[in-house]
Amino acid sequence: MMMRKIQLPFTQTQKVRYERAIERLQSLSSTVNSDASVIVTDTIPVNHEDAFLKGHGTSEVDGELLATVCGVVERVDKLVYVRTLRARYKPEVGDIVVGRVIEVAQKRWRVELNFTQDGVLMLSSMNMPDGSQRRRTSVDELNMRNIFVEHDVVCAEVRSIQHDGSLQLHARSQKYGKLEKGQLLKVDPYLVKRSKHHFHYIESLGIDLIIGCNGFIWVGEHVEVRDPVMMIDDQKDAEMISSSSSTKEQSHTPLETRQNICRIGNAIRVLSNLGFTVTVEVITETLNLSNSKNIDIHNMLGSEFHVVVAENEAERRREKRKK
Amino acid sequence: MYFCLNCVVIMVACSVGEQHFLKGGIAQELRTDGRKRLTYRHTYVETGVIPQANGSARVRIGGTDVIASVKAEIGRPSSLQPDKGKVAVFIDCSPTAEPTFGGRGGEELSSELALALQKCLLGGKSGAGAGINLSSLLIKEGRVCWDLYIDGLVISSDGNLLDALSAAIKAALTNTALPKVQVSAEVADDEQPEIDISDEEYQQFGTSSVPIIVTLTKVGEHYIVDATEEEESQMSSAVSISVNRAGHICGLTKRGGSGLDQSVILDMISVAKHVSETLMNKLDSKISKIHKQLVDSIVYGSLFKVEIKHNKLHEKIVISFGSRD
Repeated sequence: MMMRKIQLPFTQTQKVRYERAIERLQSLSSTVNSDASVIVTDTIPVNHEDAFLKGHGTSEVDGELLATVCGVVERVDKLVYVRTLRARYKPEVGDIVVGRVIEVAQKRWRVELNFTQDGVLMLSSMNMPDGSQRRRTSVDELNMRNIFVEHDVVCAEVRSIQHDGSLQLHARSQKYGKLEKGQLLKVDPYLVKRSKHHFHYIESLGIDLIIGCNGFIWVGEHVEVRDPVMMIDDQKDAEMISSSSSTKEQSHTPLETRQNICRIGNAIRVLSNLGFTVTVEVITETLNLSNSKNIDIHNMLGSEFHVVVAENEAERRREKRKK
Repeated sequence: MYFCLNCVVIMVACSVGEQHFLKGGIAQELRTDGRKRLTYRHTYVETGVIPQANGSARVRIGGTDVIASVKAEIGRPSSLQPDKGKVAVFIDCSPTAEPTFGGRGGEELSSELALALQKCLLGGKSGAGAGINLSSLLIKEGRVCWDLYIDGLVISSDGNLLDALSAAIKAALTNTALPKVQVSAEVADDEQPEIDISDEEYQQFGTSSVPIIVTLTKVGEHYIVDATEEEESQMSSAVSISVNRAGHICGLTKRGGSGLDQSVILDMISVAKHVSETLMNKLDSKISKIHKQLVDSIVYGSLFKVEIKHNKLHEKIVISFGSRD
């Protein structure tokens, strides 16, 4: 486990507790991989008799294979490469990502994903507002702005990676689409591990949590996934309502939901500062910890809570190990 | 004392839904990171970060990180004010904060910040109402005085730059030690007197009257203190008020296009006075804590003469304390 340098100033006792917690975490992590981590100019142990391919982050100097970046050595069949930790997002087909629309272009939207290139969401990869399945006409193209505008936060799935490296996204299911009523958080992509579920609905709090594989996490009020047929009637109602109400006082998020959203947001910020993997279990664990200790939402970002979370995480992993 | 700025607003991408969530949070007194409207983010102060400068400090308010340094040089007082020293404030926005600050991009913002700080710290043209006591910088009337160059560097920007810079400047000034100067000989009127700058004796700079700036950002119907970049991008207007320990207003700056009613401004001033008290106390206690640690070590160092010898034979370092002569 990589020890991250934290920007918060700790008092002497806090520093001691924090270092002890990190030591325990490091001892708990699997020792098999501990010799696989390398820094620049470390020699990578390779059996020279076998034919091997030199991948990214390696270079052959004087017959020795040296690492040129700091990271973990990965071996896939004959390929040996060094995977860096704090890299940009590395996409795979089928990843769920959360991104921000930067541009509305011809028949497509360009989405920022914390990747080396922008993702492209084609108009044809997006469901029509009335739910019909038909060929997109030029009228649809002119009405693209009714679906997504610049700066909108969208949730989509990676459909394919083009030969030049750019991503094609699609949002063909009801659970994808525009995200409103919440906040977007950014963490390092390596903290999000791929799993079966990225959409989490925390029922007890009424909150939607979408953990994008690219490190963008959406925390917001729960929105019911609607049937497209019902959407047509609802849209007509919505039009009537919006035209009648002149003020923009749409219903504000209820205070309790908002408190929960802020707590979860801060929990994710704390985990990101400490460099722990962000999963629903850890987030709910941190949330319950802050609730049980009656910590004020804003004080979750203070030094004391960071130390408490580190200690708690060490405990939790030890418990898991024992089972 | 009062003037308007057309500030460069750093655009942060924010969708309509997020804007609504933000404004709703401010209206309900629960901002996106859980703060109340008048709460500051966690503030960290470090002094003495630049050893070559006479005084320096680094202040971190949430994601905003700034460094201020004070350098003192011997100069000649201006003929209009022969009994006062000179102070100049320069701010630099580093490209590490925002890529747009590279090259000449950050110039506009830097000059605006420098102007606002100068007005708040130095008062009017005649020197009246200055937060920094310029007469204390005088060495010999009309001939020799200290020139203070205060430089601010913005390393990371997450909103509320003025507050962070003013806190950093105050901390840097508290950290400033001006060497004692002796004017050696009496000379004729048109010649520069000889001066002897002491290496050992220093005088601390008095900063009890230096003001700090509190910025109130109006978003929708309410005002918040210490806005993050996201919140600043949604503001209609912002008023930065500089308050000193006595609760007096030393300067006022308004940014943003929308106009404000006079009752709103008066209300903002009273809120700022109230908030500045807590902020000033927090800042002073943090600075004095650092100072105490520093003073303890200096006092200890001056009581004993410390001799360090490297014993090559036994490969160890021997530190001996002797009484000071």
